[in-house]
This record gives sequence, C-alpha cells and structure tokens, in this order.
Amino acid sequence: MSERRPRHPVRWVAGAVLLVLVVVGVVLATRTPQEATAVSSPLLGRAAPALTGTDLNTGAAVNLASLRGHYVVVNFFASWCIPCQQEAPDLSRFHYDQSRTPRGADMVSVVFHDTTGTARQFLRSNGDLWPALADPGGVIAEHYGVTSPPTTFVINPAGKVTAVLEGPATEKNLDSFLRAARVQAARSTRG
Amino acid sequence: MFDARLGTVGVWLAFAAAVAGGLVMLAGLWSRRGTGAERRPLVQGAAAGEGRYLAPVMLVGAVVAVLAMEHALVTHDFTLVFVAQNNSTVTPLLYSVTGMWSALAGSILLWGLVLSVVATVFVWRYRGHSADPVIRWATFVLYAVSAFFFGLMLGPADPFRTAAGVTSGLGPNSLLQDNPLVAIHPPLLYAGFVLFTVPFAFAIGMLATGRVGDRWQIECRRWTLLAFTFLSVGIVLGAWWSYQVLGWGGFWGWDPVENAALLPWLCGTAYLHSVLVQERRGLMRVWNLSLSIATFALTILGTFLTRSGVIASVHAFSESSLGPLLIGFFFVVVIVGFGLIAWRGDRLRSPGGIDAPLGREGAFLLNNVLFVGFAFVVLLGTVYPLLYEAMTQQQVTVGAPFFNTVAVPAGLTLLFLMAVAPTLSWRKMSGAVLWQRLAIPVWIGVGTVVVCVAAGLRGAATLIGFGLGAMAAATAARALVLSVRAARARHVGWWRGLVGRANGGMIVHLGVVLLAVGVIAATSYRHQAELALHRGTPVTYDGHRFVFEGLRTVSSPSRTAQEALVKVDGGVFAPATTSFGSALSTVGTPAIDSGLFGDVYLTFDAVGGLGATSGNQAIANLPSGSVAIGVVIEPLVAWLWAGGLLIGLGGALALVPGTRRRATDAASAPPAMVSGTPDENSGDGDGRSEPAESQPEPVGVLTARRVSPA
Repeated sequence: MSERRPRHPVRWVAGAVLLVLVVVGVVLATRTPQEATAVSSPLLGRAAPALTGTDLNTGAAVNLASLRGHYVVVNFFASWCIPCQQEAPDLSRFHYDQSRTPRGADMVSVVFHDTTGTARQFLRSNGDLWPALADPGGVIAEHYGVTSPPTTFVINPAGKVTAVLEGPATEKNLDSFLRAARVQAARSTRG
Repeated sequence: MFDARLGTVGVWLAFAAAVAGGLVMLAGLWSRRGTGAERRPLVQGAAAGEGRYLAPVMLVGAVVAVLAMEHALVTHDFTLVFVAQNNSTVTPLLYSVTGMWSALAGSILLWGLVLSVVATVFVWRYRGHSADPVIRWATFVLYAVSAFFFGLMLGPADPFRTAAGVTSGLGPNSLLQDNPLVAIHPPLLYAGFVLFTVPFAFAIGMLATGRVGDRWQIECRRWTLLAFTFLSVGIVLGAWWSYQVLGWGGFWGWDPVENAALLPWLCGTAYLHSVLVQERRGLMRVWNLSLSIATFALTILGTFLTRSGVIASVHAFSESSLGPLLIGFFFVVVIVGFGLIAWRGDRLRSPGGIDAPLGREGAFLLNNVLFVGFAFVVLLGTVYPLLYEAMTQQQVTVGAPFFNTVAVPAGLTLLFLMAVAPTLSWRKMSGAVLWQRLAIPVWIGVGTVVVCVAAGLRGAATLIGFGLGAMAAATAARALVLSVRAARARHVGWWRGLVGRANGGMIVHLGVVLLAVGVIAATSYRHQAELALHRGTPVTYDGHRFVFEGLRTVSSPSRTAQEALVKVDGGVFAPATTSFGSALSTVGTPAIDSGLFGDVYLTFDAVGGLGATSGNQAIANLPSGSVAIGVVIEPLVAWLWAGGLLIGLGGALALVPGTRRRATDAASAPPAMVSGTPDENSGDGDGRSEPAESQPEPVGVLTARRVSPA
C-alpha cells in the first residue's frame, strides 16, 4: 500500500462528483419551502366578523353564522396571486380529509380584489367543492384586516378567531393549526 | 336436482376415500410396531403403503363435486341453495364460474379440490418411498386434513343443500363481479394455503418417526417454496383486486382477511430462510419444525377468523357456524404439533451453535426474529378486538396505525438484511471481504438517496427505504450477475445462472424490493382530493389536467353503469357507479390511468343538483351539471404489481433444480470436491480468492443422512 501510490483517476473523479452531489443534496434538503406563517392580528381571540353572501358557483346563500358549532377555515384568495395558485391543491386535500373526518372543519373562500368572472374561473380550474363568496368593494377583507392574499383564518365552533396565517397554506400547517385550536378548546373547557 | 345429487355423491366419495386412506395408513403404521409374524394379510397390504391409491379416488370425488357445482352455477340451477344465493339468471359466464368461491361452502369445496390435487401429487411424487415411515405418516396427515375439510361439506358447510321453488337468485356479491381478478386471486391464495399442509405433514412425519433433519426436510422446503410462491402472488393479486375494485385507492388495509393471508406468509418466509441454516449447518431444527407447524396452524386460524364471523371485516364475504369446528381443528393441530416437538425434544438438539454474529447464520437468525416477531404483532392486532371484547364486553378496533408502527421499522430492517445478508459467508468472515462485496451496493444506495433528495423528496423513513431498497436490489443483481458469469465460464448456458434455489431467491429479493419501493412511494407521496368538475372546464390538480366530458349510461342485462367521462392528460377514463343484476345497491367502479411512474385513480362521487344519485355521499355545494370526482395520485404503485409477478417468477425459477450442491452430498464427497463445486452462495461465483468461503464446511451429521431408497 505504502510503496505504490494509488492511481485511480476514475475513482477520484467519481468521488468528486459524488461529493458535489452530496453538497447539492444537502443544500436542497435544508431549503425550507415557502409556507404560511402565523401572524398576530387584533382579531385573535375575538368573534370573527360577519361573512354573508352567495356562493359563486351555485348561487346558494352562505352565512358564517350558520356554521357555528363547527371549525371553519376562511381563506382569502385572488386568481392573480401566485401563492394562491400554489396553495390550491393543498386546500383541496385538506378539504377532502376534513369532509371525511367526523366533526371536521368546514371551509369558506373569499375573493380578494378580483373580478367575479376570473375568480370563478380560478375556483373551477381548481375543482373546489366548498363555497366561495365575492367581496365587492372589499368590505369583508377590510373587516378581517386582510391586506394581501392568501390569508387564512381558523375559526372555532364558538365563532372566535384562533389563528391567522399569511402566505400559502399547506395541508400540514392547516392540520397543525386546527389541532392546536382543538387542544386549546379542550383545555379551556376543562379549566 | 341432478347436480345436487351428483355433487353430494362426489363429496361423500372424497370423504370416504380420505377416511379410508387415513385408516389404512394408520393401520399400516400401527402394524409396523409388531413383529412380522403378527401381521395379518390385510394389514400387510397396508404396510406396503397401499393407502396411497385412495388419494386419486379422493381427487375423483372432489372433481365430480366441483363439476356438479360448476354445472349448477353455469346452468343457473336454483334448486341448490348455494346457487340461488350466489348466482342469477343474468350473471355472466365468468362470474357464474367464479361464483363457486364467492361464498363459504363453495370456498371449502375449492379448498377440498386443491387439497385432493396436492395429496394426489404427493403420493405420486413419493410413490417410490411409500414404505418410508415419514412419507406414510405424512400421507396419513394429508388424509386426516382432507377428511376434516370434506367432513365440513357434509355438515355445516354443505354446498349442495337444496330448496324448492326458487326461480331466480341474487347473483354474487356486487364487488365479486366487477373484476376478472376474482377468477385467479382466490384459487392462487387457496393453493398457497393448502400447499402449507404438506410441510406440516412432513413435520408430523419427521417428529413421529424421530427422523428429524434428513432429506425430507429438503422436500419440505420445496413444498414450502411452492406454497410461498402461490401465496405471494395470491396476496399481491388480492391487493391489486382491492385497488381496482374497492374505490379507496389503497391496496392494503390490515383487514383481518388480509392479515389471515399475511400470517402464514410471514411464517413460511421465515422458514424458507431458517431451513437453509439447518441444511448447511444442522442448526435450528426445532425452530424449523415449529415454523412448519405454526404456518399450517395459522392458515387454519386465518380461515377461522375470516369464516366464522367472529371478526367484522370489510370483505368477509361469508359468515357461518363453522367457528367452533375450525378453532377446534386449530387447537388439535397446535396440540399435536407442539406436543410431538415436546416429546421428541431430546432428539432434536442441534450439534453445535452459531459461531459468530457476523455470518450468514446470524443474519438468518435476525431475519427469523423479525418475521416471526412481525407475525406475532399482526396476530395480536388481529385477535386483540376479540380478546378485548371477551374480557370487557366492549368493542374496539385495531387500525392501520398500530400495524404501521411495527411494519415500517420491521420492513426497513428487512430491506437492510436483504442488502447485506446475501453477501455474508457461513460461519464467519472478515470485514475486508464484506466491504469488498458491499462497496457497490452501498454506493448505489447512497447515490439513490442523494438523487432523491436532490429531486425534492423528503421524509427520513421514506428516503432510508429508497436507499436500502436500491442497496438490496444491487446486492441481488450483483449475485445474479456473478452467477450468470460463472455459468458461462462453465459453458452450461447462461440461464443456469438464473435458476436454482439461490438465484431464484435473489430474483424473489428483486421482486420484494420492487414491491417495497412501490409501497413506500405510493403511501408516502399519495395525494387524495375530491374535485368539482364542470363540463368542459379543465381542472389542474397535482400536475394533471382533468376535463369532464359528460355522463353516459351503459346497460346490459347483468349490469347498469352510470359513467362520468373524464379526460385525464389526453386519455378518457370512465369512473362509474354500477349496479349488478337485480341487486338494488350500487357500487363504485373506479377508473385508473395507470403508468410506469404513477397512477391517477378516479372515482365517481356525486352528481351536482341531483345529490347522491350514486349511493355515495351527498355533496351540497355542486352546481347541477357538474360532478364530484375523487382523485388519488399514487406514484409507482404499478411497481407493486410488477414486484408481485417477479416474486412469482423468482419462486418458480427457484423450484427449477439448479447446479447447486445437494446437502446430502456434502459429507459424502471429499472436501476437495466440495470446494470445487459451485456453491449457491452468491460470493462463491466471484472467482476471487475469498478465504472464508473456500473452506469446506462441516455439515451436521444428521443433515447428511441419506434415505435409503425403498
């Protein structure tokens, strides 16, 4: 071993390529994808502002007050917003799981500064199965203090806001905020 | 009416042949205990093993009964209660034929048929050894088991019960006439179950005669391998059926029926590995016999769990009053089997022990601990609801999370063993040799993980699974390449490098890796949602484009389907809701866009405006004219089915006699010749000098004992 120096150029090249791959892999692995974060809001812990209107797809009446007793996830979106397009499949998945969970959360979407036609087109191209409201004049957004979409509110069965998320929501973080809200509710009823 | 009489005659003939065969074998065995002078002529005939001629008689009886049943089903003879319950005048031919195993009594009939075939092949294969006590005990056991099953058909599971005045039947359960896989999955599964009777019979024979560890253990292994192959393919086809029919996009739900098939598979697989230690080193004898007995006992327990109605299962298609009989038979099997082991304990002691932890014996031991431990957990999870209810009068269910908690670490450890163990030598080996053999697989495994991470995949367990899978595949491929190369060097035809126990085993390993990668990918990266599709408006979800093109109703006398035509990335698929024959309920019929890298799985969930026309849940928020389509995106799920087929192929190739050394030759051949023969060990084909391998290995005296030809 010590007499002859190893001459394996292929091995060295392969080793170097592997090292580069590992470094690239580690860099990619440690990058966290953009994700919604909880933000503070004066609404936290207070009753959610009223939310009434007609569903963009079916024309049926939608009223947040009628969903009292359920957890509700309210999502403000616009068709022109890229993160909204990004979060759409996760919202579908979240809705699917909740629709099959006993006492699962309901969902309501609210259009943020968009035309009704393009907003409806957006909802349809995502195959959303939950109600969505138009918000002419941005009245609802103003009451909820939404300045940029996507913004998502978690509302508990008592009708109080328990979390506000800004940025593209994922199925995972919606699940965890919903779970946190449930834990909080269980604690407060016990205490 | 004619069918019923003919069928009953067939069952009686088979039952009588089984009972008579068992009695003759027993009489012959009993007479051997006396001296020659005491033998009476009748018994002398039996002593020569004439009882074996009754196996073909039993087969004739079973075939007559099955033909009568099939004739009744195909001609819709509703005087038979079984036909009235499982057939209708509009049932298509294929599902009339498969109707035999759509319910309990017919399933038992199929079981009896397969058992008769197995018993007949058994006595034919060992016709030259009919005086051998092991074979005679084993034949007796086969007759006894056959008598039990044919006895069931004469009592509580009579498939030929008649009732007058029925003019039309209900047809098979809707789920059982939705996919042609019902024609092959149950027979393969039953063949797997039934074939485990032979290793059990051998185990009893070896224990009763005290001749543990001779060449019959090798025969026992071959039968187990055959059973393993059928059962593996049967289980995977069952998963495929469940995937294509049940509409949930899944393939395994830890349902009691599935567990009932998995339990003997786990024990049988453990046996196939540990018996190699016995063949080569003479170790683990009690263990191997216990596994043979346990495997058979678990097939009976599984039948009890799924056929007695004690456990609610999503696809227990039949319930009956067989429970006490089956559980009684299970306890007879267990008590006789393990009683014999206790009785023969002194003769079973192994000559020696395991030398070093880093050796093939150690790896096989760990493999067995994992398989059997896992089987125990699955058994516990399956019967826990029963025990809990018996003790507390409350019902609980044990769900998938319980099983997955164990399945994930056990599965990963098994992948690791598959990656490393085939490169290990018997007894002990040096680390340097090990590294020399493992270097390529390790780099391939590491490279796979890096590529996966770079491609954006996340999740520690998933990535470890892919890495170990790649490593195990590389180890198996390496062994096969070396083996093919060695075969070519010997000018015996390269294909010889792919047949035989070890090479077939490596192909099975490749199949298991494919299956494991498919399972890991399909469960880790599975996405499920429900989409509202409006006619003509494209919907994009998870990179796929869906367009709803309209509804269509397809009718035939046997089925009526309402289909939603959905274009997925160019191809049109038609998930539907279907009702069969005169059945009022509808079942969902999924449509699957299947590909090499992933499936898009569609279910027709609801129609807008009309609510739930399909028997599915009502979805309120859907405009009329639109449909709600359930979508499941599952990557690599097709690998699972391919893996299953490869396991079947590998099992078949392993049954083809290879150029391997016979265990019986080891001790009789001089050491120089032994080391010169090609070994089944993967490393031996290397052509490199590997000190640990080239030593001739002492083989336990008992494993080397030859059976003198009759």
